[in-house]
Amino acid sequence: MSTPPPDLSIELGSLALRNPIMPASGCFGPELGDVVDLERLGAMVTKTVFAEPRSGNPAHRLAETYAGMLNSVGIPSRGAEAFIAELLPRYRTWSPPLIVSIGGLTIAAYLEIAARLAGVAGIAAFEVNVSCPNLEAGGLEIGAVPEVVEAVVRGVVERVDVPVIVKLTPNVTSIAAIARAAEAGGATAITAVNALMGMAIDGRTRRTRTGTPTAGFTGPAIKPVALRCVWQVAQAVAIPVIGVGGIATVDDVLEFLLAGASAVQVGSATFTRPDTMLRIVTALETRLADDGVASVRDLIGALEPGPSAHDLMPAQAG
Amino acid sequence: MVGASAGATGSLPRLARLPETGPSAPRVAPPALLEAAVVTHGLIAPEYWRLVLDAPAIARTVEPGQFAMLTVARGEESWPVLPRPMAIYGWDRAGGRIEIVYRVVGEGTRRLTRWSCGDRIVTVGPLGRGFVLLPAAQRIVLLGRGIGTCSLTALAGVAAARGIAVHALVSARHSDALVGGEAYRAAGAVEVREVVDTDGSSGVGPVGAWLAENCRTGVDQIYACGSDRLLRLALEMARATGTGVQVSLEAHMACGLGFCHGCATGHPGLVEESPLVCRDGPVFRHLPSAPVA
Repeated sequence: MSTPPPDLSIELGSLALRNPIMPASGCFGPELGDVVDLERLGAMVTKTVFAEPRSGNPAHRLAETYAGMLNSVGIPSRGAEAFIAELLPRYRTWSPPLIVSIGGLTIAAYLEIAARLAGVAGIAAFEVNVSCPNLEAGGLEIGAVPEVVEAVVRGVVERVDVPVIVKLTPNVTSIAAIARAAEAGGATAITAVNALMGMAIDGRTRRTRTGTPTAGFTGPAIKPVALRCVWQVAQAVAIPVIGVGGIATVDDVLEFLLAGASAVQVGSATFTRPDTMLRIVTALETRLADDGVASVRDLIGALEPGPSAHDLMPAQAG
Repeated sequence: MVGASAGATGSLPRLARLPETGPSAPRVAPPALLEAAVVTHGLIAPEYWRLVLDAPAIARTVEPGQFAMLTVARGEESWPVLPRPMAIYGWDRAGGRIEIVYRVVGEGTRRLTRWSCGDRIVTVGPLGRGFVLLPAAQRIVLLGRGIGTCSLTALAGVAAARGIAVHALVSARHSDALVGGEAYRAAGAVEVREVVDTDGSSGVGPVGAWLAENCRTGVDQIYACGSDRLLRLALEMARATGTGVQVSLEAHMACGLGFCHGCATGHPGLVEESPLVCRDGPVFRHLPSAPVA
């Protein structure tokens, strides 16, 4: 008797994906299509687009750390018009839904980029990157203040007619409170989490190893933090959660699904091996079939209460 | 070009992309992703290792000055996260092999030394825009220091095969760190000058005099990699004589393909991002009229 292959499809509000695997913003671009088949992805996510061009940070922008990496790329963007004219047509070569990440340095700047990209063909959803410094609040991250997040999300939702996903920063006191603000603002889904704020110093030169003193910390090292954030967000809101942070294997994906994620993003692991996302899609199908799980949706938030039996101390014999 | 170490590039002069089309445009074929089997791997000098990979899809189209990204993480390991960009030192198109010479400078390259014959390394290449030989070139000068020479060796072979006279300078801290001289001689370079810090022969004075002597007798292009000091000498000569300069830059990289923007060359302006080493380079040209920082 043959069983049908497991169903990998998931939904983020009105956005239907054939599988839950997509890239993390900043770790993906049409150039990846030169070496891997992007048709097999659940969705595509762009690097963050700003309304106006910006140059990004000075060199060095990258540093390797224990089980992770730091980046101080600083989100260079060629602006909305160059994105529409040059980058968007390249993405449209592939069929998975395109999620366009947008950013700004003031609340008004988010509304501006949303307005400029609203109604543009080929954009399936927006992901609002609220991990940018708020120039109106002394550089405090936009995503650190619930009221600001709610205002940004509400303003973007009012201006566009596709689902709005909000990507949260982990560098906050209560990510649950920020997630509730995003939901109140009308978000369709929440992505958790962006890079942790990190730092690396070269003891010999007595200088930081990146061009800006602090940098975004990503990679396998941040997975436990990201997993905790996803779980807390999933407890706090009713909308779907997209998990991201240190995901490199199918086991990582299963953990994020159990914690409450409906989909996942792969970031730094695409640098390690450009075909990581495709390896995961293949492995996920195999794993679900092996485990007799009919649909990936059966795993979302299916975390059992209490710790794994393997973690319990053995009973002391008399 | 090798990514494991890179000096601050902010003080470098303004460099431009090589042309997109025409006889001075580099030839660029789409890169391939493959699990390349290690054919030969071993120490060739203290700190310097030679790695030969079975990589037909790369060997088929690679051009001098291009590079490959080598994943350091093994098997199912998910870190070290960043692959290492490595200049392609030489290749055998018919045999489908590429050769890389690298220096152990940190944890990534130290781990790289553990790969043995038959192991398969996740490799992407050929990447970047390499060196260009001008159609009418008759005589060229190659200036390489340390591991930077490994970006230039393949160029010598292609140039010599076209009948171009190659004058190569190999500079290093000490004689154990001189790499590439043999490759130059095997390629048919008419002159290979090896200089080191320990006896002062690598100083700006003697090297500058050698370069000036070469340029006086006519040089069509200067190619440099691995040293800001050598590059500055080349640029001085360029300003004095009008000789064009191509330079290969190094940077830390994550994607190697151009989407991560991790390898911008230097301090950018207010609006426009500075060129990316992986996508716009690693080889850039210096225009003789451009200001020298």
